Order: sequence, then C-alpha cells, then structure tokens
Amino acid sequence: MHVDGEVMAQFQDLYDAIVNGDAKKARAATEAAIAAGTATMELISGSMVPAMDEVGRLFEAEEYFVPELLLAGRAMKSAMELLRPLMIASGQRFPTRVVIGTVKGDLHDIGKNIVASMLEGGGFEVIDLGADVAPEKFVAAVEEREPHVVCMSALLTVTMPAMRTTIDALKSAGLRERVKVLIGGAPVTTEYAREIGADGYSENASGAVSLVKRLVAA
Amino acid sequence: MRLKAIVCQVLSREMEAVAPRSPHSVKVEALTMGLHDLGAGMRSHLQERIDAADAGGYDAILLGYGLCGRGTEGLRARTTQLVLPRAHDCIGILMGSYKKYADYFEGHSGVYYRSPGWIEFQAPGQWLQPAQATMKNTLGERRTREELVAQYGEENGDYLFEQFSAYRRHYSGLTYIATGVPSDENCRTLARAEAEREGWAFEEVKGSAELLQRMVDGEWDAESFLVVPPGATVCTALGDAVVTAK
Repeated sequence: MHVDGEVMAQFQDLYDAIVNGDAKKARAATEAAIAAGTATMELISGSMVPAMDEVGRLFEAEEYFVPELLLAGRAMKSAMELLRPLMIASGQRFPTRVVIGTVKGDLHDIGKNIVASMLEGGGFEVIDLGADVAPEKFVAAVEEREPHVVCMSALLTVTMPAMRTTIDALKSAGLRERVKVLIGGAPVTTEYAREIGADGYSENASGAVSLVKRLVAA
Repeated sequence: MRLKAIVCQVLSREMEAVAPRSPHSVKVEALTMGLHDLGAGMRSHLQERIDAADAGGYDAILLGYGLCGRGTEGLRARTTQLVLPRAHDCIGILMGSYKKYADYFEGHSGVYYRSPGWIEFQAPGQWLQPAQATMKNTLGERRTREELVAQYGEENGDYLFEQFSAYRRHYSGLTYIATGVPSDENCRTLARAEAEREGWAFEEVKGSAELLQRMVDGEWDAESFLVVPPGATVCTALGDAVVTAK
C-alpha cells in the first residue's frame, strides 16, 4: 500500500529524469514505481507523456537542442524497457501505431530516431524500420503491422524521390487509404508533401508528434 | 564572353584545369567548402558573391554548385544571367552527369564519396563529414568526443558522440571519383588509406571535368544546365531537371 504523496513523487522522479536526460535515474524511478505497484499506463501517461511534451516545448523554445533531445529520448527508452514486458504480460497496447523509417538510399537517421523516441514517449507504438528502407519494406510493414501512420524521412534531395515511390507503392498495394503519410527531413518542404500526395510535413520532431496526434484524432 | 565563375572549393582543381582551355575570359572565385553545413545560411553567402559579380558587367555568372540541399535555391542575379549545372550536388558534377550519378547511387547505397577536392581541402576536423554535399547539417553538431564529454559528462558525452558518428557505421564503401587532374594520384592514395582505416571497401569511378568545361566554354545545353535570366530566381524542381528558374 502506498501513500498518495509517494506516488506523486515517483511520477515526478521519472518526469524529472526524462526531462534532464538522465537514463540511470529514469531506470531507478521506474523500478521504484513498479515495486510500489504503480499501474503501467498511469505511469506512462502521468510522467512519461508530460515529460516528452516538456522536452518538445523546450526544443521549440530553443532551450533544448538535438543533444538534449537524444538524451531525453534515451532516458525515456530505458524506462520503457522496464515497462514494455509488463504491458505485454497484461495484454496492454498503445492505441496508435506508427511505422517510421528513412527512405531507400538514405542512411541518415538521427532526426528519424529523435522523432521515433518522441512518439514512443508520447504514448504511441513505434515500429522503426531503420534507414535505407525500400518502398517494398514500407508496404510490407503496413500490411503486417496495420499502423495508423507512416512517417518517412530523407536528408538528401537525391533520395527524396523515394518518398513519392513509396506512396505510389502503397497505392498500388491498395493500402494508401489505410494510413496517414507524413514526411520530414532537412530538404523536405510542405510543397513537396503536397506534390507527392503526403498527408503532412513537419519541420522538426516536436511538430511531428503534434501532427501525428492531430491526424489520428481527425 | 566575359564570364565570372563562383565555385565551391571542392571543384577548384577541376576548374583550374578547364578555365584556361575556354575560348572565353573566365574569372574564377572559389568559396570555402562546406557551406552546405550552414543550411539556409549558404544562400546568403553565395548571394553576396553573386551581387558583387553582378556589378562587374559580366556576360554570365557561372555557379560551380548544384542544388546542394537547397543551398542554392533562391539565388538570383539582378542584371546578369546565372548558369548552373543541373546537379543535386558536387558528386553529380564530378561524375560528369546526373544520370551517371543516379545510376551509380542506385546500385551503391552506403557509399562515402571522395574526389581530389574532397581529399585536398577538407579540414582535419571535418573528417566526420560525409562527402555528399546534399546533406544539410541542421543538427549543427560537429563536436569532438572531448567537447561532448566536457559538456555532458562521460557517459552522456560518449553516448552523444556515438549517436552523431553512428552513420559512419552504416557506410560500407568508399568511392574515389577520379577527375583526371594532376593531384589524382596522390589523392587516390589518401582515399585508399581512409577506406582502409574505416574498414570500407575501396572503389574508384572515372569522373570528369567535362560538365565544368562545357560551362566555361559557354556550351549550356538545356539538358545539363539551367540558365537563369537576369532577375529570375533559382528554384528546386527535383525530377530530372533538378533546378528551374522563376
């Protein structure tokens, strides 16, 4: 049996650890919460989600930059590593699934990794296909995992056309209507998203998370 | 014709080879390489040089740049025509044509490109930089392990350094583009050594300065070059055209 004040402290500990990018403390706080019998989903929605929201806000405010995002993502992941087995054991799943990857020919993935982290910390189930992902692989992932959203990243103007090819491949497979497609990456623009029939574009990771939330709610 | 060429330093050896052979008067200005790292900042650098050249009464201003991650998007010369190759980046220019680059790129993902300019002019601290100018480094992170550890502590610093250099592990090959300039031999040796150091397979591709030769010769065929009328702006077209003028 635990006292309310103690529960709040656990939530705060995990929240702080994630915002401060402290993976060790995040793990410790999660272990303490689990030991005290805190419900997994409550812990996630009570500390992880607001923590990642705060990290996003700090990034928008230009107080946090890429290193801080990476560290916060890592802290969040170390907490999730402990929580995931519990979720699986109790049959709990996040309601929304996102497939994400860097397109064919492109090996740059830091931005993509950050978006994946922030989505995961935001309470989404993320299926990360990695980098250099061929259109066929995106299609297969949509068929097998039935995501709600597909996010594609490209850092080279040379590889951007693969985004169009992937959307076309989804159309050919009759899967385009089943997902929302979002694109991002340094040389990508809103106009390009419109041109290739994507559902949206975001300039940065926190924008990507808001966009996913908006598109899924619609 | 009186031509002014504003080129990326990475192409300077090739420019030195082709400019003297042009029937026209070609004045070459090389800008320090790596401007594409500035993202949108690259544009203002180039625009400043174009504006200066615009006042020089040239028949055309030639740009030794490709789209470069959109770094050349938005450029314009008020009173002079601008000419640039239809290329995504210097790798495409060095290979001689977009088609050759596209074909090679298709069959070789995970390749690190080097050329005489990339070997000769890349500053020692830039060794982490991939030789594909289309990568815009908006992360702004070019710090050493020491700097990251100093700021974030040992463990976090190590993790960040590993993250920022992780892409190097995705690369499996180094391709040296030989453009036929005198320094090719030496640069090839250094490129091979780098490949060995990184554990990458070494391959060589025959590039060419032909595109640059045609540019300084005034042979601006529509398929290979974009000619921007005075006052018009360079825009991204992607597709085969790569760039267009508005």
